[in-house]
Amino acid sequence: MKLTIERAAILKSLAHVQSVVERRNAIPILSNVLIEADGGDMSLSATDMDIDIVDRTPADVQQEGAVTAPVHTLYDIVRKLPDGSQVELSLEGEGGQVELRSGRSNFSLQSLPKDDFPAIGSEDLSNEFTLPAGELRQLVDRTRFAISTEETRYYLNGIYLHAAEADGVKLLRAVATDGHRLARIEMPLPQGAENIPGVIVPRKAVNELRRLIDESSDDVKISLTENKIRFSFGSVILTSKLIDGTFPDYDRVIPTGNDKTLDVDSKVFRNAVDRVSTISTEKSRAIKLTMSEGSLSLAATSPDAGSASEDLEVGYTADGLEIGFNSRYLLDIANQIEGDSMQFVLADAASPTIIKDVADSAALYVLMPMRV
Amino acid sequence: MSLRLLPPNLVNQIAAGEVVERPAAVVKELVENALDAGAGRIEVAIRDGGRSLISVTDDGHGMSPDDLGLAIQRHATSKLPGDDLTHIGTLGFRGEALPSIGAVSRLTITSRPAGADSAWTISVEGGQVADPQPAAHPSGTRVEVRDLFYATPARLKFLKSERAEQGHVSDVLNRLAMAHPAVAFRLTGDRERALIDLPAETASLEGGDESLRLARLGRIMGREFRENALAINAVREALCLTGHIGVPTFNRGNAQHQYLFVNGRPVRDKLLFGAVRGAYQDFLARDRHPLVALFLDLPPEQVDVNVHPAKTEVRFRDAGLVRGLIVSALKHALAEAGHRASTTVSQGALGAFRSGTGGGYGNYQPPPPMPGHLAEASNAWQAPNAGYQPGFAETARPTAPAGASETGDADAANYPLGAARAQVHETYVVAQTEDGLVIVDQHAAHERLVYERMKAALANGGVATQMLLLPEVVELDEPAAARLAARAPELAELGLMIEPFGASAVIVRETPALLGETAVQSLLRDLADELAEMGEAFSLKEKLEEVCGTMACHGSIRAGRRLNVHEMDALLRQMEATPHSGQCNHGRPTYVELKLKDIERLFGRR
Ligand SMILES: Nc1ncnc2c1ncn2[C@@H]1O[C@H](COP(=O)(O)OP(=O)(O)OP(=O)(O)O)[C@@H](O)[C@H]1O
Ligand SMILES: [Mg+2]
Repeated sequence: MKLTIERAAILKSLAHVQSVVERRNAIPILSNVLIEADGGDMSLSATDMDIDIVDRTPADVQQEGAVTAPVHTLYDIVRKLPDGSQVELSLEGEGGQVELRSGRSNFSLQSLPKDDFPAIGSEDLSNEFTLPAGELRQLVDRTRFAISTEETRYYLNGIYLHAAEADGVKLLRAVATDGHRLARIEMPLPQGAENIPGVIVPRKAVNELRRLIDESSDDVKISLTENKIRFSFGSVILTSKLIDGTFPDYDRVIPTGNDKTLDVDSKVFRNAVDRVSTISTEKSRAIKLTMSEGSLSLAATSPDAGSASEDLEVGYTADGLEIGFNSRYLLDIANQIEGDSMQFVLADAASPTIIKDVADSAALYVLMPMRV
Repeated sequence: MSLRLLPPNLVNQIAAGEVVERPAAVVKELVENALDAGAGRIEVAIRDGGRSLISVTDDGHGMSPDDLGLAIQRHATSKLPGDDLTHIGTLGFRGEALPSIGAVSRLTITSRPAGADSAWTISVEGGQVADPQPAAHPSGTRVEVRDLFYATPARLKFLKSERAEQGHVSDVLNRLAMAHPAVAFRLTGDRERALIDLPAETASLEGGDESLRLARLGRIMGREFRENALAINAVREALCLTGHIGVPTFNRGNAQHQYLFVNGRPVRDKLLFGAVRGAYQDFLARDRHPLVALFLDLPPEQVDVNVHPAKTEVRFRDAGLVRGLIVSALKHALAEAGHRASTTVSQGALGAFRSGTGGGYGNYQPPPPMPGHLAEASNAWQAPNAGYQPGFAETARPTAPAGASETGDADAANYPLGAARAQVHETYVVAQTEDGLVIVDQHAAHERLVYERMKAALANGGVATQMLLLPEVVELDEPAAARLAARAPELAELGLMIEPFGASAVIVRETPALLGETAVQSLLRDLADELAEMGEAFSLKEKLEEVCGTMACHGSIRAGRRLNVHEMDALLRQMEATPHSGQCNHGRPTYVELKLKDIERLFGRR
């Protein structure tokens, strides 16, 4: 195998695949990237056995073939090469050394047999639909913060993607929850997604996906079965296994009978929570919201730091209510609100509260209060 | 195959398997018999770790020739006057020990009843009994067990090294001796070497029984224990708890030096150990253990001692009451002790000073070496101080000038921890007290103050809880679920709200906010296990306190921070005002105190 490629092109390609590879690996081949040269393309593949990423990019192929090389080392080298340089990659003899030449630099990297590299599945996945990159980004961003990190409830360690129907409208929904709060975003069901099974996309795949979306402005093709999901962005393809578990029946915890509404200016609210929570205890971060006709007061106390309070003018007409929340959770949600105003729909101090972006009916957040 | 009744000898061998599993068990049975016989002096001799010979000689009331014959028969006992197993006031009650021992050894008993003018001897070999013969013996009983397990080679194989077996024998005897301070005990090993030699303690005028016992405990657990012990004396209903416990800074890496007795019987009971751990948990790191000797006395009908063949486990009718009594009595004593840190700490420090000066100061006599097993605690404290020794005078540049004008308001005589005089190495505060000096580790001390404040806040303000959007159901077995449900109010105080969910599960509705997103399933399982084993829910408190502990560590004054004299005095005054400030969160001392007389000894003035 032998090919020449511009540094910027291979750097971008490596950046796409390298982050899926763990820094420490019990299986040495998993530290390597598979480099294949065929036709006019160089294709890079990396995997952690759960997630595969394949990136294809044009290169000047002098001799077809394949080779593996340690991905993090390769990435570090290419990063340090001068901008605009040409990189030549070749496999010399049978010895298993990959040679990298660029300008006056020469590297000889330890390789592992390409046949040891796990097969990257490219089989067709039965359900296929397309989403604009911007909408996929929303799906991920509005839910990702609520994914659970607690591993015993593994089925909460991802985003639940599924088809649903509400008021006769078919929807695609993404939901995440850590048992304290829940985020749900929905959009009209794209064509081809009518029969998708409900799947849980693991957190690591979500993070990889999020990185890749940033670089894409086109449509993203999504295909999935019960065990696998694939996102195709032009030259990059990410395939991930899915979490084998049942996502809880989340509809049941979204309250329908809450009768008190609180409308706040989202920026004002966000900043006030941020300020007041400076005082709340480091770990529990409790903040108290007290509502009365037309006003909301935020308060926090800590035995060490003292106390803080701030009053806001708000839209509130129901009976007075005092309720505690984890201020970090409030901020997480407030950070998702792009519109000018956000709305709380409350019942009492011990029941789930709904939070919405008034300008964006697609997203809905549910937050459980704290007892303070 | 046909059914048959086992011949008596085989029955005895089987019973022996349970009662006597090693030489130490034989010693225990024989010494208990001697104690039951009212002995004032008991001598035990073992050879080859007890394999070839165990002999126990007492000066108790002895046995008549007829009794001798009966004693070696199964289920012959003089100790259950009524047919009531619920009123056991002696150590023995089954009539099982002697026949069991006789089944697996060559056993000879020689005895002369008090007041009789002749002695008789009887021997059993492999279960075969010979007729009693006249013999010469002073008043009392001597039991000789030779060639233990010669008839059951399989068991012989399981014996450990002679040293190890001898260690077990010493341990058993020490435990019995602790409970009977008025009885003299002696243990000799190969070549008549004395392994234990405990004179009968005699009560001092002031102390009464308590001093008797403390004297005996001091001989067995070491002088340091005696000096660092807090007396326990608590009564609740018909239960009475006495004994002595070490201050927290006097601790060990294992729980071997925790001795517990129920009605004079040494026991190893998880519930009791759990209660001790519970009482100390604020003061000691998880891997450090206090030294305690506790004696629980309660009416025989409230405790079942017939649970374990070696009688080392007991079952209480009201386990909750027992646990509550122990935890509250110990906590009370520890709280009373306030900031008192162990004297081994300052002794250790003193030792370091001494070794540094390299000897040669007049007629000064070094203190007797500490018994080997006690050296550990004090050595640990010498280490950090050792760094000081060379050139103490040059390196110690006080960062705050000493002098009455600078020390401001603190008057040495008025405060237990004295007036701050200097900070050295930007780490230690040196203060002058009325009769000595105090060195405070500023980081350890401040960390403890912050931690105590946080705990107080937790206790006063209640624990903030996060309610769960998805309440978690934890499947357990039925008893575990019931145990957790029964303790729900207590757990709720710590911020964990649970409710029963069917018969064999609980549902968790709220968790302590401090823990963030926590692994509820494993937390609940741990709690259920602890409740079963020790009757205490440690893990939740420990988890919360761990968080407090890390936060305290982050929020406190570090070593290396320069303090002015007002800050130093303030630190001392806060320590005095804060309970438990004598040790840091890990059981290390926060300060050491040197008495003037110790300093004078250093200079050979005393
Ligand atoms: N050292 C001794 N002095 C006086 N009597 C003794 C002595 N050792 C044993 N006996 C008598 O022999 C009896 C049998 O002793 P053995 O140890 O077999 O049973 P026990 O002590 O009654 O019950 P356990 O099996 O629970 O120890 C005792 O009840 C006691 O009367
Ligand atoms: Mg007995």
